Amino acid sequence: MEGFGPELRAHVRRMLGSADDADDVLQRVWITAHRSPPEASEPGRVRSWLYRVATNAALDRLAADRRRRAALEGRPRVVAPDGPASPDRILDGLGPEGRRRVREHVARLPTKQRRAVWMRQVQELAYAEIAGRLGCSEASARANVYQGMKKLRAELFDVWKQEVTS
Amino acid sequence: MTSQPCWVSEQGVLAFVEGDLEPEAELAVARHLAECEECRDQAAEFRALEDAIASGVAAVALRWHAFGTPFGRMYVAAGEGGLVRVSWAPPGDDAWVRELEDRFPDRPVVHEPEDPVLLAAERQLHEYFAGEREDFELPIDLDALPRFSRRVLDALQHEVGFGQVVAYSELARRIGRPRAARAVGNAVGRNPVAIVVPCHRVVRSDGSLGGYGGGVEFKERLLTIEGREDLLRAS
Repeated sequence: MEGFGPELRAHVRRMLGSADDADDVLQRVWITAHRSPPEASEPGRVRSWLYRVATNAALDRLAADRRRRAALEGRPRVVAPDGPASPDRILDGLGPEGRRRVREHVARLPTKQRRAVWMRQVQELAYAEIAGRLGCSEASARANVYQGMKKLRAELFDVWKQEVTS
Repeated sequence: MTSQPCWVSEQGVLAFVEGDLEPEAELAVARHLAECEECRDQAAEFRALEDAIASGVAAVALRWHAFGTPFGRMYVAAGEGGLVRVSWAPPGDDAWVRELEDRFPDRPVVHEPEDPVLLAAERQLHEYFAGEREDFELPIDLDALPRFSRRVLDALQHEVGFGQVVAYSELARRIGRPRAARAVGNAVGRNPVAIVVPCHRVVRSDGSLGGYGGGVEFKERLLTIEGREDLLRAS
């Protein structure tokens, strides 16, 4: 896996425009890779998996930087009152109004979609696992997550944007 | 940055963020995100929204766990605010999940046997049944109940300790509603957090035991654990 290190580093560096930030992000990627390694073992799949994890980590860094800059410019940031203590999560956390809205929209999802979204987004389970727990096919598990997230995204995009940037 | 329309669509960016692409496409989109600022911004936005949704869903979800006790299989459920349900009534896991979903239609219900609050509840209930615990140290969330019920159950939880009993009428007096004994009885009867909120310690003013949601034999056994066999003989 470490064989992909150099090209991954170049990739993250291109995304962030800074070598220091890239090393920082990559360190987290290796921690993730060791803690919960990819399910596949063929080099091609491992490689694309590493690119996804690294790219997502870099995206998170970009988004966090942007919010930090906004906060420094005097815009109030949203702090989850009692969420988990990771700094990125706190910045992403929704305020009381946001939570109320999430609750409201989660309530409108059919039960199966609600559980599927939970398993995918919070427990981060593989679709095969979700299918097993829901007692349906993998395709149907995928569809349930997709439909549920699509609705939540559509409904919550404005709330989220307002809370994070207003 | 490019002024030409991208070969990666918004759907493609989203699929990448969600980990839904095949390896080849995944790699190609990852590389594209390093080149195209517009798509990168879009992807970062999707990521952040996804996180916000996940934390929101996590905040409202109810986690449940089941375990064996001398009283049969026992079920507990908790949300972010603490325990919302302790029960041994349901005749199986499916019935229990359905009941929770009916009771809390706006919250995802998930089996989470590792949840710290639920594990603490299991441990403390075991200790209680073994006669090794008198007070529960567990967060309880009764926010879903009407205000009157909450007052009744609060008073019961905080003022009627291990081995004590109180009459429905006395409990009504304690919350400043002396004429509401019947309503107090209803609130106690619908206590969602059995044992931890000690509805088994509420008896009739004539000294008889009165009813119990889980069956009166459970009430007798709980009072026996608390050293109150005297009440059983009286009724």
